[in-house]
Amino acid sequence: AGQDVGRSCILVSIAGKNVMLDCGMHMGYNDDRRFPDFSYITQNGRLTDFLDCVIISHFHLDHCGALPYFSEMVGYDGPIYMTHPTKAICPILLEDYRKITVDKKGETNFFTSQMIKDCMKKVVAVHLHQTVQVDEELEIKAYYAGHVLGAAMFQIKVGCESVVYTGDYNMTPDRHLGAAWIDKCRPDLLISESTYATTIRDSKRCRERDFLKKVHETVERGGKVLIPVFALGRAQELCILLETFWERMNLKAPIYFSTGLTEKANHYYKLFITWTNQKIRKTFVQRNMFEFKHIKAFDRAFADNPGPMVVFATPGMLHAGQSLQIFRKWAGNEKNMVIMPGYCVQGTVGHKILSGQRKLEMEGRQILEVKMQVEYMSFSAHADAKGIMQLIRQAEPRNVLLVHGEAKKMEFLKQKIEQEFHVNCYMPANGETTTILTNPSIPVDISLGLLKREAAIGPVPDAKKPKLMHGTLLMKDNSFRLVSPEQALKELGLAEHQLRFTCRVHIQDPRKEHETVLRVYNHLKGVLKDYSVQHLPDGSITVESILIQATAHSEDQGTKVLLVSWTYQDEELGSYLTSLLKKGLPQSTA
Amino acid sequence: MTRECSVLLPGVCAALADPRQPGLDDTCLEKLLDWFRSLTWFDPTVELVQNNPCLTELLSSVLALPEPSPSILSFALQLAGILASSENRFQHLQQEKLLGRLFGQAGPRGRTVWEDASVRSGWVKGVHSMVHHQPALHFLCSEGGMDVIFALQGDPSLFVASAASQLLVHMLTFSVESETSKPLSTKDCEWPACAQMIKRHIEDSLQSSSASRIEQSLKLLTSLFGSCYAAWTEALWLDIAKQIESFLVEETVQAQHMLANLLLNVARSPVFCDTEGSFWALVTSALEHLTPVQAGPLAVGLLRLCKCPQDVRIQALTVLLQPMDCILRAASQPLEYAGLLDESVSDPVTVESLLSSKASCAALLCQTLAHLEKLLSLKHLRVDLPHLSLLRSLMTILQFCNGFLSPTSPLGSTISRNLINCSRVQKSALDVLAALSEKKGCDTLLGSLFDVLLAYLESPNTSPTVLKKAFQATSKWLVHLQELSCSSSQCQQTEKILEDVFVVLQKRLCSPCWEVRDSSLEFLTAMVKGLRDQDEFRQCLLSSEVQRLTENLLEDPESYVRASAVTAVGHLACIAYFAPGSPVVGNHFNKENTVAKLQEILSTDSEGFPRRAVISIFTKWLREGCTGQLEDTEQFVSRVIQTVEHDLDWEVRLGGLELIEAFCSQTIGQRGLSECPYAPASSAAPAPTHQQELLQVFCRAKLWGFLFRSLCDCDKPVGQRACDILIGLRGNFYPMSTLENPQEIEDSPAGRGIAWLQRTLRQGSLAQNFPTDGGDGVDFQDPESMMIALGAIDLLELHDELNKSSDHVEESPQSLLQDILATVGTIEENEVDCY
Repeated sequence: AGQDVGRSCILVSIAGKNVMLDCGMHMGYNDDRRFPDFSYITQNGRLTDFLDCVIISHFHLDHCGALPYFSEMVGYDGPIYMTHPTKAICPILLEDYRKITVDKKGETNFFTSQMIKDCMKKVVAVHLHQTVQVDEELEIKAYYAGHVLGAAMFQIKVGCESVVYTGDYNMTPDRHLGAAWIDKCRPDLLISESTYATTIRDSKRCRERDFLKKVHETVERGGKVLIPVFALGRAQELCILLETFWERMNLKAPIYFSTGLTEKANHYYKLFITWTNQKIRKTFVQRNMFEFKHIKAFDRAFADNPGPMVVFATPGMLHAGQSLQIFRKWAGNEKNMVIMPGYCVQGTVGHKILSGQRKLEMEGRQILEVKMQVEYMSFSAHADAKGIMQLIRQAEPRNVLLVHGEAKKMEFLKQKIEQEFHVNCYMPANGETTTILTNPSIPVDISLGLLKREAAIGPVPDAKKPKLMHGTLLMKDNSFRLVSPEQALKELGLAEHQLRFTCRVHIQDPRKEHETVLRVYNHLKGVLKDYSVQHLPDGSITVESILIQATAHSEDQGTKVLLVSWTYQDEELGSYLTSLLKKGLPQSTA
Repeated sequence: MTRECSVLLPGVCAALADPRQPGLDDTCLEKLLDWFRSLTWFDPTVELVQNNPCLTELLSSVLALPEPSPSILSFALQLAGILASSENRFQHLQQEKLLGRLFGQAGPRGRTVWEDASVRSGWVKGVHSMVHHQPALHFLCSEGGMDVIFALQGDPSLFVASAASQLLVHMLTFSVESETSKPLSTKDCEWPACAQMIKRHIEDSLQSSSASRIEQSLKLLTSLFGSCYAAWTEALWLDIAKQIESFLVEETVQAQHMLANLLLNVARSPVFCDTEGSFWALVTSALEHLTPVQAGPLAVGLLRLCKCPQDVRIQALTVLLQPMDCILRAASQPLEYAGLLDESVSDPVTVESLLSSKASCAALLCQTLAHLEKLLSLKHLRVDLPHLSLLRSLMTILQFCNGFLSPTSPLGSTISRNLINCSRVQKSALDVLAALSEKKGCDTLLGSLFDVLLAYLESPNTSPTVLKKAFQATSKWLVHLQELSCSSSQCQQTEKILEDVFVVLQKRLCSPCWEVRDSSLEFLTAMVKGLRDQDEFRQCLLSSEVQRLTENLLEDPESYVRASAVTAVGHLACIAYFAPGSPVVGNHFNKENTVAKLQEILSTDSEGFPRRAVISIFTKWLREGCTGQLEDTEQFVSRVIQTVEHDLDWEVRLGGLELIEAFCSQTIGQRGLSECPYAPASSAAPAPTHQQELLQVFCRAKLWGFLFRSLCDCDKPVGQRACDILIGLRGNFYPMSTLENPQEIEDSPAGRGIAWLQRTLRQGSLAQNFPTDGGDGVDFQDPESMMIALGAIDLLELHDELNKSSDHVEESPQSLLQDILATVGTIEENEVDCY
């Protein structure tokens, strides 16, 4: 989904854990290109070993269509997470798509029903706001995303680092679902869809009114309305719309569903009533919104019945099965209407009529003249620019990454986000990797001895202020410990090496060497009152660990060379001392 | 190119080059490129570009755009590459001065648009298509293209980087193979110019201090040795072998897994099959120097090779067995078991430390187990696997995982702590266990093996996915057990195990989790399939509650479970009712009730899976002759067909046709005719009495109406299948010679009906529309009419029509061009909306 609205499949590596977000397919192809190329995930070892889990955001095929292929044919055998409704509904859509696909001649490399089932049996269903521990370090949590039944945003957390993936979401409630919501979780990264990155969508009400008006007009003049749909999602939304309208207007024309699949889908909408919006849940007490009075199951014989009717038929792109059969029957009559409520891939009858073609060559010979009215209505429920900004405000991420949108529009939104929230915003293309730096806090155990020692020399520890500590960091068996250097040496069985810094300072002094040394000694003693300055019998001076020796310059006896050396512990003092000596010796100390 | 397409193409090209048009669906551009690829593949002539000047015009117009969109520029680059794939067309494009502006220094390389990954990707793909002749190669080298490709190996886009690497492999191979004829040595000067550049680039990269450059070259070499087995690759290898060896020994670069992949690909190449060479010494050194995790894939790859020195094989096997050996040693008392490996060959320190760490323990074991599973699946393994010790080790792992074994040794207790409840390891171990069931030499451990398996089946801590694998392993080992049983003590052991299995199965069939119920039913079916002939099994099964519980699950709320229950009940029925001398258990469990129950599911279940399961079970029964006498079978088939005919699920209808096929083949067989309905009768027609009988049976079973209506089914596979069956049947009624020429219809009432059917099918099979009122005057129950229908309807023509296009996604180039033209100017919102 990098800079395009196609297959969603995102790999997130966070604190050593690898999570795959969504496993979508592209409906526009029927060769290898329809699935993501999973060989890019790792060329080193098995996918099951590499990936810690797979998360599916919702049941649309561009987010889950490649899952059975991935788990049953490519061979991923690890955990898969999705919400309960998604787990229930996913197989219906996969089954629907499989049926269409195996209809194609010579179709190979596609999953079977058994594979869909085996894949679904590997899925772990999660509840909203339930923290699921994938392993000891990795946890995930689902949030309500609106969009379609069961759609969820996921927070992925390892230690103090976290990523939120929105999947597809909708920030305004619609007829059967509520608005997306997330708490102020301040993730390091928010991966957001951006389908409508530059659009402020008009109220869906207008589109709904328009839809009802068109259906009503057609039925009034005795025409038939065909609405090609996929088994789930939009079909339910439109059914509720029509059902309510029919009830209010007291209309008599029959409304039919063409397949049993949609009945099952309705069953799930009833089952997962808690996932729908408040209005539906409230009315549920009196009447289940998905218990339709006016909508009945369709029989093939009904298509030839005279008089007006509305039929929901699958598949949604008019490329096979019943919807196409009915379309052929009704296309020739200008009183009829077909309403396409979704995207159609190139090559399908749906795509052709939407682009205005009216003479269709069917199967090489017959020409089908389309006289019926063709309408396109977009009901897709994505967050618009305003909604995306609202979500960012809610979650307060440190970085944003845009996916599932078009490059140009993303670019615009990216600038807006960076301007308004002062966070980095990324929009990688497919195949590109974005690296985000985080500031992980890593817990370290400190030895008691070191703690006591540090506490003794510094000011009294303050719980609210960070304190700088020196010590040796031991990383062993996946644990971190800060200990004193002595203890570290002891534990590791190592001998200590002394590292000394040296520096030569030249001073002009014609006196004998030992006299120069004495002058230096007196000078230092006067300046560094708090330190132990000693003049050793061998003629050298020490200040703490710092050693100073003087020699005459080989070529110029009037210049004395002071060799200053110090250990790293006294680095500050050492550099102070050198700079002091570089200034020369005061005359009075002679 | 067809005339229609060449008429449409100029318009399409103009639309593509027009920056005012909204962006096209990416798939359209990709499909256009597919089409051009197919047009140029076998045709090197210049005709395509000469006859369609709009193509070069399109390239010029895109180049002339001040700010071309990345997608259209990428398209132009790829198109130009495809067109330039033959020397003639390359020269033509050169004359038009296009290639330099696309792929040369004057091209998009230096412009802002180059920052878009799709443009870089288009450039690389374009070059790849183009480099199929020497002028292209020289053009690229002279235009500074090589440096661009070298740089693109490190592109931030994985796709571009990988494509650049593939391109270099292609260019190196092509350059060497097209520009030299004599054998090459390691001397640079002997190599052709382009190959020399690439070779030098590889060598330089390998010696550079940049880890990413080294990795890029290793990748390149890996794919080169994986795809090219020419003799010259040896010269290249000799050049770099020292460097590769130093990477292994000095471990200065963190690319060990790449080294393993590279060595494996080189080992696979027939060029290096000489088992004496220094190459194998390097492989041996790799097996020693790489960590067990890095060496694993190399080891398993080596063991699959036909030609590999035996000592290398043994060393590879040691790498794979070491973790298993370590497990065994950690779990056992000193000197209890010999372990898997001779201590002198194994150095367990590294493996022990990996197994002791929580982070690496599961990873190492999962990887090792996956490799072992692969080895066990090989037909010809050239080393002996110690099956018994392997089994013991697997059991130990499984016991560590469920906490049934807490060893006293410090290493053992650490490993068991690391593995407790680790479902990844459990699943991998159970997979290997299942694979091991087919191997010999494990029989002494069977008792304890089943203890381990039963513990898994029983434990409430076993996750559904692990349980499924445990069931799979158990059913495989039960089959193995059955093959052994002969002595009475073994019989007792088998009986005891089966009893225990059924007790746990009963419990699992009542699980609240549908995944568990489903896996239990699948397990039951697998057991029935594998053990149906074993008396102990049948007794245990029929005396348990399993049968009752399974029938209860026919009403499960989850449709997957109902479908699995149908399959299980179907298989159980074969043992319980249909087998000769089957005991009759209770009143409720009888054949009639079961058949009625399944028929009810077929006609009333709201979901497809259980209905599909029913129809396939019915077909299975029919094939196995479980449905009783012919009269009963006729009635049975006729009832089923009437139910299935109106099913909304096309796979159920397809299943119905399979049932018909089985029925026909059986009926024909029983009448002493050819068993295979597709075997057409010899030139002489079969005896008329037989024909009459057959026709009557088929009419009574009511299969004609379903078959003919299915020809117009809205789901193509149904129509195709029905047509196949009808063609097969016709061969039994008409001699071969008449098949080609359909009969004329007599002017009789029956004949008129058939003429109507003929017309309807001719139009209806394409329109997928069979009149719903059933057929004007066609009596599908009348043998005479059906005989006429079979003779008169041109089934072969119908067959061709149905097979012409089995889906309605129009894939012809003409349709694609029409769609692109039509899309131009439509509202933009259509493009955005996906779901």
